[in-house]
Order: sequence, then structure tokens, then C-alpha cells
Amino acid sequence: MNDWHIDAGLLGEYERGELDPSRAMAVEAHMQACPPCRSSIRVDFTWLTGNWSVVYDHVHAPKAGPGHRLLRRLGLPEHRIRLLTATPALRWSWLAATVTVLGLAVAAAWLLRSGAGGAVLATSFLILAPVLPVVAVSGAYGPPADPMHEITGTTPSAGPALVLWRAISVIGVAMTMAATAGVLLPGPGWFAVAWLLPALLLCTGTLALATALALPVAAATLGGLWLAGVLAASRLVHGEPFLSVVFGPTAQLGYLAAAVAAAAVLILRRRRFDLGASR
Amino acid sequence: MPPVSEQSSDADLLRAIAAGQTAALRLLHHRHAGWLRARLRRRCADPDVVDAAIQDTFVAVWKDAHRFAETTADPAAWLWTIAVRRLVSALRGPAHRWLSGPAADVPDDARTVPSAEELVLLGVEHGALGPALDRLSPELRRLIEATALDGLTVREAAQLLGIPEGTAKTRLMRARTRLRQLLA
Amino acid sequence: MTTVTVSGLAKHYGSTTALAAVDLAIGVGVTGLLGPNGAGKSTLLRCLATALAADSGSVRMFGLDPAVPADRTEIRRRIGYLPQNPGLYPNFTAYDLLDYVAVLKEITDTRQRRAEVRRVLAEVELTDRAQTRVRRLSGGMRQRLGLAQALLGDPDLVILDEPTVGLDPEQRMLFRALISRLGEQRTVLLSTHQTEDVGALCERVVVMNGGRVVFEGRPRDLAGVAEGRVWLSAAPPEGSAAYWRNADGLYRTIGDAPAGAEAARPGIEDGYLMLLGRTAVEVAR
Ligand SMILES: [Zn+2]
Repeated sequence: MNDWHIDAGLLGEYERGELDPSRAMAVEAHMQACPPCRSSIRVDFTWLTGNWSVVYDHVHAPKAGPGHRLLRRLGLPEHRIRLLTATPALRWSWLAATVTVLGLAVAAAWLLRSGAGGAVLATSFLILAPVLPVVAVSGAYGPPADPMHEITGTTPSAGPALVLWRAISVIGVAMTMAATAGVLLPGPGWFAVAWLLPALLLCTGTLALATALALPVAAATLGGLWLAGVLAASRLVHGEPFLSVVFGPTAQLGYLAAAVAAAAVLILRRRRFDLGASR
Repeated sequence: MPPVSEQSSDADLLRAIAAGQTAALRLLHHRHAGWLRARLRRRCADPDVVDAAIQDTFVAVWKDAHRFAETTADPAAWLWTIAVRRLVSALRGPAHRWLSGPAADVPDDARTVPSAEELVLLGVEHGALGPALDRLSPELRRLIEATALDGLTVREAAQLLGIPEGTAKTRLMRARTRLRQLLA
Repeated sequence: MTTVTVSGLAKHYGSTTALAAVDLAIGVGVTGLLGPNGAGKSTLLRCLATALAADSGSVRMFGLDPAVPADRTEIRRRIGYLPQNPGLYPNFTAYDLLDYVAVLKEITDTRQRRAEVRRVLAEVELTDRAQTRVRRLSGGMRQRLGLAQALLGDPDLVILDEPTVGLDPEQRMLFRALISRLGEQRTVLLSTHQTEDVGALCERVVVMNGGRVVFEGRPRDLAGVAEGRVWLSAAPPEGSAAYWRNADGLYRTIGDAPAGAEAARPGIEDGYLMLLGRTAVEVAR
């Protein structure tokens, strides 16, 4: 533009804020048009790399989707959300787990409605109800479907807690799908939801209880309670009322309330939980 | 898309950024962050807000580098306009900083960017404009600076200075009248 | 300082013996595990990485026992592992993948985790590929990404199963530089069937064959195994099955001296071949 440039003295005065306003404005006007003068501004390299690293992370870090933002608003810590939302990203495992869990739910719904197989089969299905989906999820994130299982399996997070978190992710989505189906075609959809609720309860409940107890103890306690409850109900009542006791609307509401309470405990005690997460 | 280097021009870097090359964004950041910081600091005393505005600027550049090709602006002037607008929206409140899409702050229209010629007119050392500006009261001068030098709209200038838009409009009119008197 | 102690470690798959009573002590520095396919290298590494439980014998890592669940988790906090087939999710970007593994490695603070992801990306020179999906990375880049995930959390013990397979010479150099830098303060255990890797970067070498450790020592000492057994002759040696013509037009053979042959200086490869030949004979007996 012209042969006037900003010398070191002027630049120093500008940076220290010692210039008259009009001179400072002149310096800025010139800088905007003159690359050599722009680059003569000294930059602290530590500041530069620090500033850049934030840009870098923002550009590359996984974008927070609507589910992510919802979970964040619920108060779940960032790394847990990352784990839950990454669960569907492992596509084959996710597909296998969801299909199996939904298949189990539909089979249960059909079995219990039609009454095929009699009381013994119905009871054994009930006993296994909360466990089967977790087993299915655990299997789907194992060697055949999950190509990275060897890396995942040798991290400190590997173990029952990881399986339960993934199970919550899978069962939560499967329940939403079943509920949607229930709204669209009344009938088996709602029954499938009902069958998945105890499983969700077991997962969240175990994780919540694990904030106070060791995880195996927590799982055994809840499993034992479920077993005792189902067996007691089958002793007390026979036939149709038995199902309505364990699976009826009242029981369902109870499960739902318990699952919500467990989730609340998980969120409230998250610090405590993270310390013992994978021990 | 050829690989970029320290020697690449700003326009080449922006093209490479539009093609998704992080290396080009890093080069552009390292080349421009320094002077943007010095200049933003004269408009905002809080170094954290200034740093965040610079970060927002380059995140916006990453998302919208393709829009640069549509403008005829000088890359440095384009960057400055984004940066000062990011500063304005940061000052509007940290809670809204990420919620307002940065895209809205990227100028589509080259005319919103002050041209180098206009800036020269603003007056280097010589001439009567310099002393006239110095004699202007600070709040009037800052408005002239925000609109003529920084390329902000009156509304954005009002947000930058933390005054109501109406006040900014009256002050700007007063500033022009006063300048005319001083230059007469 | 000894990081890993293995004694009497055995692993069988049905009637196949993968590991037969392995004894080993490994300390800070780079240790190379050399051996033909099926020698038991991967099985040993998988046992040490806590991916596999041995049938018998004992392992101590940092004084902890991987057979005890609480100890195992503690060990996992301190190791980094690159399996032979890492199976990195193809639809993840490099950054996402590392961020995910970092979550599993209990780096729970978001800021700290991102700094760690950036650090390992820079270590393997993938900083500008962070946004690329794994399926679009070249084989060498994928291998580097695999190494990067093993380095997350700055582990004390790094276990690398065939890390240099499928790398071009330039990438191999990058890998060697990186691994030897790691070995300055950490314990690095890597398997390979390339004797050049061992010569170039390992302070110690362990040769395995048929599920056993057949040599343990410095690479120089491995070359010494073939001392006085390597020959150069002008004519093809009679009665020797394994010989080849080198660049000078001389015939090189390992074993008994052919007529009119001159002794040559053995290399690591010669020692390795000698060992394999000898154990093959011993096993046959
Ligand atoms: Zn200049």
C-alpha cells in the first residue's frame, strides 16, 4: 500500500496501550492490510499452542447429538455419556444386541399371552426375565461381533460394570422401540415393554447399589430379591393372577418407579460410583 | 488439493481448510492468532474472553471456509470481521456463546468488510483526522472505531460497548457532527 | 528393575500346547520376542495383557497377580496393549476412537482426556488425520493409530504384538524411533519375526519356539550363538540344504564347514536360524 510500516518502537507502544487513540487506530488499519507488519507481532508460543489445542479439540471432538445433550442435562458426567452414546456406534454389536433383546421380548410377549408351554415355562421365563437381555448384550459385545474386543477387554473399565452400562443403552432403546410399536399396533408391543422393564431395573439397580456395595454383591442381592419375589408370587397365586401379580400394571408401575429411583441414585452418587466403577 | 506449507497464501489455506485439512487450519491459526489477539485486547480487557473469541473464530472458519470463496474480501479482513463479531457475541453472555451458531457471524457479503482504502482514509499520521479523533470524547470515538474501523453494524457496536442500540445511534450521529466541526 | 516375572506359564488349546512352562523376567527397556509363527509369542503376550488366562504357572506384573480380579484391574491401569489384529472400528474417526478408548482407560476428566488424545496423535504423527475415519486410513496409519491407543494414559508396560507388520520402510523407521523413545523409561515388550527389528531397537531378545523360551539375552549374544558356524565358500557347499549366494558371489551357509570354506562373522539372523534348527532337531528327537 505505501512504504510506511510499523517499527518496533511503535509496535511496542501499541501493544502496551500507550498510543494516542488515533495512532492506535492507524496502526490497526495498517496491520489489517500489511502481512509483514502483522507477523511482526510477537506471540508467546505456549499461548499459541494452548489456544490452538482448544480449536483442535472443538473441530475433532465427537459432536454432541440430542441424546447426548439430554443426558448431560440430566446430570450424567461427560465420560459416561460418551460410553452410552458410543455403544450404538459399534454397529454390528449394537445390531446383534438390539435384535436379540427385542426378539426375546417379543417371544416372551407371545409366550405369556398365548399361554403356550404352561406355567412352568412361564415361571422360568419370568425368573430369567431381567437376566436374559444382559446376557444378550454381553455376548453381542464379545469376540465375534466386536472386532475391537481385545483392546476393550484389557482396559481397566472392562468387566461387569461396562456390560451393565451397555445393557442400559441397548435396553433403553429397545424399550423405546417396543413402546413405539405398542402405540402403533396395540397388543404385543406393550407386553414386550413390560418384559424389558425388569431388566432395565436390574441394570440400573445393580449399578446404583454398587455405589455402596461391591458389584457382584449388588447383582446377587437384586437377583436374589427378584427370584424370591417371583417364587413367592407363584406359590401364593396360581394361573392367570400369578402373571398379573408379577407383570400386571401395578407391578409394572413399581418397577418403573424403582428404575427411576435407581437412575436418580446413580446420578446423585456419581462421584462415589466413578471411584469404584470398575473395581 | 496440494499439501499446504508455511509458504501457502491465506487464500490457499482457506481452500485447503474447506477441503478438510486440519494442517491448513493450524497454519492459518498460527499466522493470524497473534495480531487478532493484540487487536481484540484493545477492545476487551478480559483475556479469557479474547482467547475464547479467537478460538470461536477458527472453529467458525473450519465450518465456513467454503463461504470465503464466495466473497472477494481480503482473508485478513475477513478473519477480523469474524473475530470481532465472535467477541461481540461472547460479551453478550457466555451462556449464549455456543448456542448462537457461529455461521451467523460469518459475513457473506464482502461489503460488510471495511476495505483497506477506507481504512487508509481513516487517516494515518498526517492530516487533520488524527488530532480530530483524539479530541473526540472516548465514548464517541469508540463508536467511530467500532463502525468504521472494525466494520460492525451499529447494533453490534452497541453490544460491544455494552450500551442500548438507540443510544449508540444518537451517539454515532453526534460523533459525526462533532468530527465535521473539528475538521472544518 | 523387573516389571514382569513369568514362571512355569503353560497354556493349552485342546491337545495343542501353545505355551509349555515359560520362565521369563522382563525389565525397563525394549525387549523383543522373536520366533516363527505358532511359537507361542502371541499367546504369551495375550496372557501378559490380561486378555487370556493361563492354565498353570504364575505371572507377576508390578508385583501384582493378574489372576486376582482386583489386581487385574490395577494391572490394566498400567499397561497399553496393541493386539495382532486390533480390529479398530472402521466407522470411527481417529480422534473418536482414541477418545473412546481413553474413556475406557478411566481418563474421566474431559479436558485431560482431550489433551491425552492430542498427545498420542502427535506421538504417532497423525495430528492432521484426526478427522479421518479408520476405514480411510492406510495400513501403516492404522497401525500407528493402534500404537497410539496403547500409549493412552502413559502406561508403564507397553505390549505390542507384531507392531511393524505391513509398514513401509519409512514408517518402520518412525516406529522404531518411537518405540526406542518409549523404552527409555518404560518396559516395552514387542513380538516380531523380523530379526532387523530386534537388532535395531531391542536391548534384550527372547527367542521362542514350540511354546518354549530357547534363548534370552542381548541381541549381540544371539549372534554369538552362531559363532564359528557361518561359512563362506566359492563353490556351492555339498551336503548342505540351506545356503545362498550373497552379493559378492560367495556361498553362505550355516552349520558344519564345507570344504574350502572361510568362517564369516555371524549376525543376529544366523544365531536365530541356528537356534531354530537346533530346537527343531531336539524336538524331533
Ligand atoms: Zn506494514
